[in-house]
Amino acid sequence: MPTKNTSPAVRPTERGRTAGGGPRERSRHGAARRRGRSERFAPYVLVAPAVLIIVALRLYPLALGVNFSFTGDGEANGTPVGLANYLELLDDPLFQTALANVGLLVLLLPVAVAIPGLLATFIFLKVPGHRIFRSVYFFPAVLSPVIVGAIFNLMLAFDGPLNEVLGTIGLGPVDWLGDPGVAKFAVVGVQIWATFGMALVVFLAGFATLDASLLDAARVDGASLRQSIWHVIIPSLSQTIQFVFVTTMIGMLTSMFGLLYVMTSGGPEGSTYLPEYYIWIQQGQMNRPALASAASTVLFLIMLVVGLLQISVLRRAGRED
Amino acid sequence: MRRLGKWVVAVPMAILALATIYPLIFTANVAMKTRREYVLDRFSLTDSLHWDNIATAWNSVGMARYFANSLFVVAASVFLLLWLGSMAGFALSRLPFRGSKALFIGCLAALFIPFQVIMVPLSRVMADTGLIDTYPGLILAYVAQFLPFTVFLMTSYYRSVPREIVDAARIDGNTVYGVYRRIMVPIGRPALLSVGILDALFCWNDVLIALLMMPSADHRTLMVGVTSLRGQYTDNIPTFASGVLIAAVPVLLVYLFLQRQIADGVTAGSTKG
Repeated sequence: MPTKNTSPAVRPTERGRTAGGGPRERSRHGAARRRGRSERFAPYVLVAPAVLIIVALRLYPLALGVNFSFTGDGEANGTPVGLANYLELLDDPLFQTALANVGLLVLLLPVAVAIPGLLATFIFLKVPGHRIFRSVYFFPAVLSPVIVGAIFNLMLAFDGPLNEVLGTIGLGPVDWLGDPGVAKFAVVGVQIWATFGMALVVFLAGFATLDASLLDAARVDGASLRQSIWHVIIPSLSQTIQFVFVTTMIGMLTSMFGLLYVMTSGGPEGSTYLPEYYIWIQQGQMNRPALASAASTVLFLIMLVVGLLQISVLRRAGRED
Repeated sequence: MRRLGKWVVAVPMAILALATIYPLIFTANVAMKTRREYVLDRFSLTDSLHWDNIATAWNSVGMARYFANSLFVVAASVFLLLWLGSMAGFALSRLPFRGSKALFIGCLAALFIPFQVIMVPLSRVMADTGLIDTYPGLILAYVAQFLPFTVFLMTSYYRSVPREIVDAARIDGNTVYGVYRRIMVPIGRPALLSVGILDALFCWNDVLIALLMMPSADHRTLMVGVTSLRGQYTDNIPTFASGVLIAAVPVLLVYLFLQRQIADGVTAGSTKG
């Protein structure tokens, strides 16, 4: 690097090369120096647009939102109110339901991970038709939650096809989306239906790194399928399993909005609220941006805990190896 | 597994595969029925294809307009994402500079900020800058949302490109920008394709960001249009199903032809993370 310029100006123009005048020798030297400078700043120029956008539209809003959450809404707009928004959240039955539903999702998480894991195992073991199964199972994962929700609106309607089928085998109609005790399970079921293919593909990528000779050895030793899964597959895939746990949890916390919006609108009786839907309603419908920001911050803390849990689990697994 | 065992497993898996695909077939079938046919029997295969439901959804419901909006927004967003993402990925992976590690970690951190957490302040920022309810605003929101993911995957991909290729091109007299344009873009094509398809799917499938950034009716994207069908066509199920079908078919086509690239993109994060 020819120059030791500490000027922060990131402006790699070609002007230097076209600028004429001056003795030839100096001009060439100057051009080389300018080119050198331009080259030195090149990495910054290349990352600048991406960094600017990420800082301005992701990191800055995050800070802004946390700040919002300690100010008031409406009349009190902009004035600091301390923890008032958080206290209001804790008192709001809708937000309580949203948090309780997060708890329900956490409880259902093992099911949402085990189903694709088991299916991936069978596909890996090449059951007849495994290629077709893989393609079919993965497809709903690329569909928009809006489309999935609209399709299941149709299927699960009170006078819809599913109830008609249940009727023919003598089971009474179930109000899938209208009964507060049923609707949340219906929505979570649809979410699992729509996303298990994603986890399946991730599991299969994990299987691709699995040492096949281990499985062969287990089989030669006369291990049953269950023993092979328990003693060979699960330990070898612990990294993948943890990855699926975390991504499925994040997916449940942040990608169910479309389903809720189309299938239940948070109802019946607010029973299918999740934090993300609560944020949307407070911001868009109730004009309570500060309260919504407080809910956002709570959601962020939940995600942070999930992320930190992942790191600690990964660390522990790393030590065991 | 014994051969018999395989079949014992294959049968329930086939039933599950049917259950996975049937709701879509059902919807497509309903879209082709008349209202009368649907009311009389939901399940029977339609006796003839009634394309007029599709035509109604396309023309009078306004799906054509929403479709064009989505196409434009997705194309512009994906172009910007790939351009900015590959430039940043090149610099972060193959150019040594002060602060590159910190920037990469910052990018990873941004990956874990879900949109729901920043949607309130972001919509205020967009309103303050006059970008709300404009196409550039929505495109910028998508770029901001999916850029960390794009940068992360492009950086990982470019790390597999041998340094010697970059060095050789530099000795040949290329500037850094020349190396980017003549070497890194062509070499990155498989990753650009994979990441580009995923970004396109994310943007195409999104509803929350579009609802928030584009409130007015004629700015609706296709997915927002589908949500509005629900209120309008509760008693005309075939038209409703047609709208859903129109929105699903592009994704189905992409899936049929580019399934492998989609799976590659999804799993790239899992094996490196």
